[in-house]
Amino acid sequence: MNIFSLDWYLIALLVFTGFYCMLASRSIVRQLIGLEIISKGAMLTVISAGALTNNLVFAQALIITMIVIEVVVVAAGLALLVKNFRINGSTDIWKLNSLKG
Amino acid sequence: MIYHTLLFALAVVFAAWAVMSRSLLISAMMLALVSVCVSLIFFNFGAPVAAVFELSVCAGLITVLFIGAVSLIRTDEEAHPENRVRFYALPLAGAIFAIAAWFYLPGFFNELSSWARIGRGGGDIGLELWDMRRPDLLGQLAMLAAGVFVVKSVFPRRAKGK
Repeated sequence: MNIFSLDWYLIALLVFTGFYCMLASRSIVRQLIGLEIISKGAMLTVISAGALTNNLVFAQALIITMIVIEVVVVAAGLALLVKNFRINGSTDIWKLNSLKG
Repeated sequence: MIYHTLLFALAVVFAAWAVMSRSLLISAMMLALVSVCVSLIFFNFGAPVAAVFELSVCAGLITVLFIGAVSLIRTDEEAHPENRVRFYALPLAGAIFAIAAWFYLPGFFNELSSWARIGRGGGDIGLELWDMRRPDLLGQLAMLAAGVFVVKSVFPRRAKGK
Protein backbone atom coordinates (compact mmCIF):
# COMPACT_ATOMS: atom_id res chain seq x y z
CA MET A 1 0.00 0.00 0.00
CA ASN A 2 1.48 3.37 -0.96
CA ILE A 3 1.41 6.45 1.28
CA PHE A 4 -1.46 8.09 -0.62
CA SER A 5 -3.68 5.03 -0.16
CA LEU A 6 -3.08 5.15 3.59
CA ASP A 7 -3.81 8.90 3.65
CA TRP A 8 -7.05 8.44 1.76
CA TYR A 9 -8.06 5.56 4.02
CA LEU A 10 -7.66 7.83 7.07
CA ILE A 11 -9.52 10.60 5.22
CA ALA A 12 -12.37 8.11 4.67
CA LEU A 13 -12.49 7.57 8.46
CA LEU A 14 -12.59 11.35 8.97
CA VAL A 15 -15.47 11.75 6.52
CA PHE A 16 -17.31 8.83 8.15
CA THR A 17 -17.00 10.60 11.53
CA GLY A 18 -18.49 13.78 10.04
CA PHE A 19 -21.37 11.91 8.42
CA TYR A 20 -22.06 10.04 11.66
CA CYS A 21 -22.21 13.34 13.55
CA MET A 22 -24.69 14.76 11.04
CA LEU A 23 -26.84 11.62 11.15
CA ALA A 24 -26.84 11.13 14.92
CA SER A 25 -27.52 14.65 16.12
CA ARG A 26 -30.51 16.96 15.86
CA SER A 27 -28.64 20.01 17.13
CA ILE A 28 -27.81 22.60 14.48
CA VAL A 29 -24.38 23.23 16.03
CA ARG A 30 -23.46 19.57 15.76
CA GLN A 31 -24.75 19.46 12.18
CA LEU A 32 -22.36 22.31 11.37
CA ILE A 33 -19.51 20.57 13.21
CA GLY A 34 -20.15 17.45 11.12
CA LEU A 35 -20.18 19.56 7.97
CA GLU A 36 -16.86 21.13 8.99
CA ILE A 37 -15.28 17.71 9.55
CA ILE A 38 -16.45 16.50 6.13
CA SER A 39 -15.09 19.64 4.48
CA LYS A 40 -11.71 19.06 6.19
CA GLY A 41 -11.71 15.62 4.62
CA ALA A 42 -12.48 17.15 1.22
CA MET A 43 -9.63 19.65 1.61
CA LEU A 44 -7.17 16.94 2.57
CA THR A 45 -8.25 14.93 -0.48
CA VAL A 46 -7.67 17.91 -2.78
CA ILE A 47 -4.22 18.68 -1.37
CA SER A 48 -3.07 15.06 -1.43
CA ALA A 49 -4.31 14.69 -5.01
CA GLY A 50 -2.35 17.86 -5.83
CA ALA A 51 0.77 16.38 -4.24
CA LEU A 52 0.27 13.10 -6.10
CA THR A 53 -0.04 14.78 -9.49
CA ASN A 54 2.65 17.42 -8.82
CA ASN A 55 0.03 20.19 -9.06
CA LEU A 56 0.24 21.70 -5.58
CA VAL A 57 -0.14 25.26 -6.84
CA PHE A 58 -3.53 24.53 -8.40
CA ALA A 59 -4.57 22.61 -5.30
CA GLN A 60 -3.67 25.52 -3.02
CA ALA A 61 -5.66 27.99 -5.12
CA LEU A 62 -8.65 25.63 -4.97
CA ILE A 63 -8.31 25.20 -1.21
CA ILE A 64 -8.27 28.95 -0.60
CA THR A 65 -11.58 29.14 -2.50
CA MET A 66 -12.96 26.25 -0.45
CA ILE A 67 -11.98 27.92 2.83
CA VAL A 68 -13.79 31.14 1.88
CA ILE A 69 -16.94 29.20 0.96
CA GLU A 70 -16.71 27.21 4.21
CA VAL A 71 -16.55 30.37 6.31
CA VAL A 72 -19.59 31.84 4.59
CA VAL A 73 -21.58 28.61 4.99
CA VAL A 74 -20.72 28.39 8.71
CA ALA A 75 -21.52 32.06 9.30
CA ALA A 76 -24.90 31.70 7.55
CA GLY A 77 -25.65 28.47 9.45
CA LEU A 78 -24.80 29.99 12.82
CA ALA A 79 -26.85 33.09 12.02
CA LEU A 80 -29.83 30.82 11.32
CA LEU A 81 -29.15 28.96 14.56
CA VAL A 82 -29.19 32.12 16.67
CA LYS A 83 -32.31 33.38 14.89
CA ASN A 84 -34.06 30.06 15.44
CA PHE A 85 -33.03 30.09 19.09
CA ARG A 86 -34.46 33.58 19.58
CA ILE A 87 -37.79 32.59 18.00
CA ASN A 88 -38.27 29.04 19.29
CA GLY A 89 -35.88 28.84 22.21
CA SER A 90 -34.52 25.63 20.72
CA THR A 91 -31.59 24.49 18.59
CA ASP A 92 -33.42 21.48 17.20
CA ILE A 93 -33.05 21.23 13.44
CA TRP A 94 -36.64 20.00 13.05
CA LYS A 95 -37.91 23.33 14.40
CA LEU A 96 -36.26 25.27 11.56
CA ASN A 97 -39.41 24.94 9.47
CA SER A 98 -41.06 27.56 11.67
CA LEU A 99 -38.70 30.11 10.10
CA LYS A 100 -40.39 29.91 6.71
CA GLY A 101 -42.12 33.06 5.69
CA MET B 1 6.19 9.19 6.91
CA ILE B 2 5.39 8.35 10.53
CA TYR B 3 4.90 12.06 11.36
CA HIS B 4 2.65 12.44 8.31
CA THR B 5 0.46 9.45 9.17
CA LEU B 6 0.40 10.45 12.84
CA LEU B 7 -1.05 13.84 11.89
CA PHE B 8 -3.83 12.16 9.89
CA ALA B 9 -4.55 9.81 12.80
CA LEU B 10 -4.61 12.74 15.24
CA ALA B 11 -7.08 14.59 13.00
CA VAL B 12 -9.39 11.54 13.08
CA VAL B 13 -9.06 11.24 16.89
CA PHE B 14 -9.82 14.93 17.46
CA ALA B 15 -12.79 14.72 15.07
CA ALA B 16 -14.19 11.76 17.01
CA TRP B 17 -13.63 13.69 20.25
CA ALA B 18 -15.48 16.68 18.82
CA VAL B 19 -18.44 14.47 17.93
CA MET B 20 -18.55 12.57 21.23
CA SER B 21 -17.97 15.45 23.60
CA ARG B 22 -20.91 16.37 25.84
CA SER B 23 -20.10 20.08 25.89
CA LEU B 24 -20.47 22.06 22.67
CA LEU B 25 -17.63 24.34 23.78
CA ILE B 26 -15.20 21.41 23.92
CA SER B 27 -16.53 20.25 20.54
CA ALA B 28 -15.68 23.65 19.04
CA MET B 29 -12.19 23.51 20.54
CA MET B 30 -11.60 19.98 19.24
CA LEU B 31 -12.71 21.19 15.82
CA ALA B 32 -10.02 23.87 16.06
CA LEU B 33 -7.47 21.15 16.88
CA VAL B 34 -8.62 19.20 13.79
CA SER B 35 -7.95 22.38 11.80
CA VAL B 36 -4.48 22.68 13.35
CA CYS B 37 -3.71 19.08 12.36
CA VAL B 38 -4.99 19.73 8.82
CA SER B 39 -2.84 22.86 8.66
CA LEU B 40 0.27 20.91 9.74
CA ILE B 41 -0.51 18.31 7.07
CA PHE B 42 -0.67 21.11 4.48
CA PHE B 43 2.74 22.36 5.66
CA ASN B 44 4.05 18.81 5.41
CA PHE B 45 2.76 18.49 1.85
CA GLY B 46 4.61 21.71 0.92
CA ALA B 47 1.52 23.94 0.66
CA PRO B 48 2.33 26.82 3.05
CA VAL B 49 -0.20 29.35 1.71
CA ALA B 50 -3.14 27.00 2.13
CA ALA B 51 -1.77 26.02 5.57
CA VAL B 52 -1.64 29.63 6.77
CA PHE B 53 -5.19 30.25 5.47
CA GLU B 54 -6.41 27.10 7.21
CA LEU B 55 -4.71 28.02 10.48
CA SER B 56 -5.90 31.62 10.59
CA VAL B 57 -9.40 31.23 9.16
CA CYS B 58 -10.56 27.72 10.13
CA ALA B 59 -8.71 27.33 13.43
CA GLY B 60 -9.17 31.00 14.35
CA LEU B 61 -12.20 32.71 12.85
CA ILE B 62 -14.55 29.72 12.65
CA THR B 63 -13.73 28.70 16.23
CA VAL B 64 -14.54 32.22 17.42
CA LEU B 65 -17.85 32.09 15.51
CA PHE B 66 -18.70 28.71 17.04
CA ILE B 67 -17.80 29.77 20.58
CA GLY B 68 -19.84 32.99 20.20
CA ALA B 69 -22.88 31.07 18.98
CA VAL B 70 -22.52 28.38 21.66
CA SER B 71 -22.31 30.98 24.41
CA LEU B 72 -25.58 32.48 23.10
CA ILE B 73 -27.45 29.16 23.22
CA ARG B 74 -25.90 27.70 26.35
CA THR B 75 -29.16 27.73 28.31
CA ASP B 76 -30.80 25.43 25.78
CA GLU B 77 -27.88 23.02 25.83
CA GLU B 78 -28.20 22.71 29.62
CA ALA B 79 -32.02 22.52 29.61
CA HIS B 80 -32.42 19.99 26.76
CA PRO B 81 -29.35 17.72 26.63
CA GLU B 82 -29.28 15.31 23.70
CA ASN B 83 -29.46 11.54 23.98
CA ARG B 84 -25.78 10.54 24.34
CA VAL B 85 -26.12 6.85 23.49
CA ARG B 86 -25.87 7.45 19.75
CA PHE B 87 -22.66 9.45 20.22
CA TYR B 88 -21.08 6.86 22.50
CA ALA B 89 -21.71 4.29 19.76
CA LEU B 90 -19.37 6.19 17.41
CA PRO B 91 -16.19 4.21 18.32
CA LEU B 92 -18.04 0.95 17.64
CA ALA B 93 -19.49 2.19 14.34
CA GLY B 94 -16.12 3.69 13.38
CA ALA B 95 -14.30 0.44 14.16
CA ILE B 96 -16.80 -1.57 12.07
CA PHE B 97 -16.39 0.89 9.20
CA ALA B 98 -12.57 0.88 9.53
CA ILE B 99 -12.34 -2.92 9.48
CA ALA B 100 -14.79 -3.26 6.58
CA ALA B 101 -13.06 -0.47 4.64
CA TRP B 102 -9.60 -1.99 5.24
CA PHE B 103 -10.52 -4.90 2.93
CA TYR B 104 -11.82 -2.77 0.06
CA LEU B 105 -10.57 0.82 0.11
CA PRO B 106 -6.73 0.42 0.01
CA GLY B 107 -6.92 -1.70 -3.16
CA PHE B 108 -9.30 0.78 -4.76
CA PHE B 109 -7.09 3.72 -3.73
CA ASN B 110 -3.97 1.97 -5.11
CA GLU B 111 -5.78 1.60 -8.42
CA LEU B 112 -6.96 5.21 -8.23
CA SER B 113 -3.49 6.61 -7.56
CA SER B 114 -2.10 4.65 -10.52
CA TRP B 115 -4.46 6.64 -12.79
CA ALA B 116 -2.83 9.94 -11.81
CA ARG B 117 -1.40 12.04 -14.64
CA ILE B 118 1.66 13.97 -13.52
CA GLY B 119 1.29 17.71 -14.14
CA ARG B 120 3.86 20.35 -14.99
CA GLY B 121 4.30 21.38 -11.38
CA GLY B 122 6.22 24.46 -10.37
CA GLY B 123 4.63 27.86 -10.84
CA ASP B 124 4.01 30.54 -8.33
CA ILE B 125 0.94 30.76 -6.09
CA GLY B 126 0.75 34.55 -6.56
CA LEU B 127 0.79 34.20 -10.34
CA GLU B 128 -1.72 31.41 -10.10
CA LEU B 129 -4.17 33.34 -7.92
CA TRP B 130 -3.89 36.83 -9.37
CA ASP B 131 -3.35 36.08 -13.06
CA MET B 132 -4.64 32.66 -14.00
CA ARG B 133 -7.58 32.21 -11.65
CA ARG B 134 -8.84 35.76 -11.35
CA PRO B 135 -12.48 34.66 -11.91
CA ASP B 136 -12.11 32.54 -8.75
CA LEU B 137 -11.27 35.67 -6.78
CA LEU B 138 -14.35 37.41 -8.16
CA GLY B 139 -16.39 34.39 -7.14
CA GLN B 140 -14.92 34.55 -3.64
CA LEU B 141 -15.81 38.21 -3.31
CA ALA B 142 -19.35 37.46 -4.48
CA MET B 143 -19.53 34.63 -1.94
CA LEU B 144 -18.40 36.91 0.88
CA ALA B 145 -20.97 39.51 -0.16
CA ALA B 146 -23.64 36.79 -0.16
CA GLY B 147 -22.62 35.80 3.39
CA VAL B 148 -22.88 39.37 4.61
CA PHE B 149 -26.27 39.68 2.91
CA VAL B 150 -27.53 36.48 4.58
CA VAL B 151 -26.50 37.67 8.04
CA LYS B 152 -27.99 41.10 7.35
CA SER B 153 -31.30 39.61 6.20
CA VAL B 154 -31.49 37.11 9.07
CA PHE B 155 -31.06 39.90 11.62
CA PRO B 156 -32.99 42.88 10.19
CA ARG B 157 -32.85 46.21 12.01
CA ARG B 158 -36.06 46.76 13.93
CA ALA B 159 -38.11 49.75 12.85
CA LYS B 160 -38.72 52.44 15.45
CA GLY B 161 -42.00 52.19 17.32
CA LYS B 162 -42.28 48.39 16.96
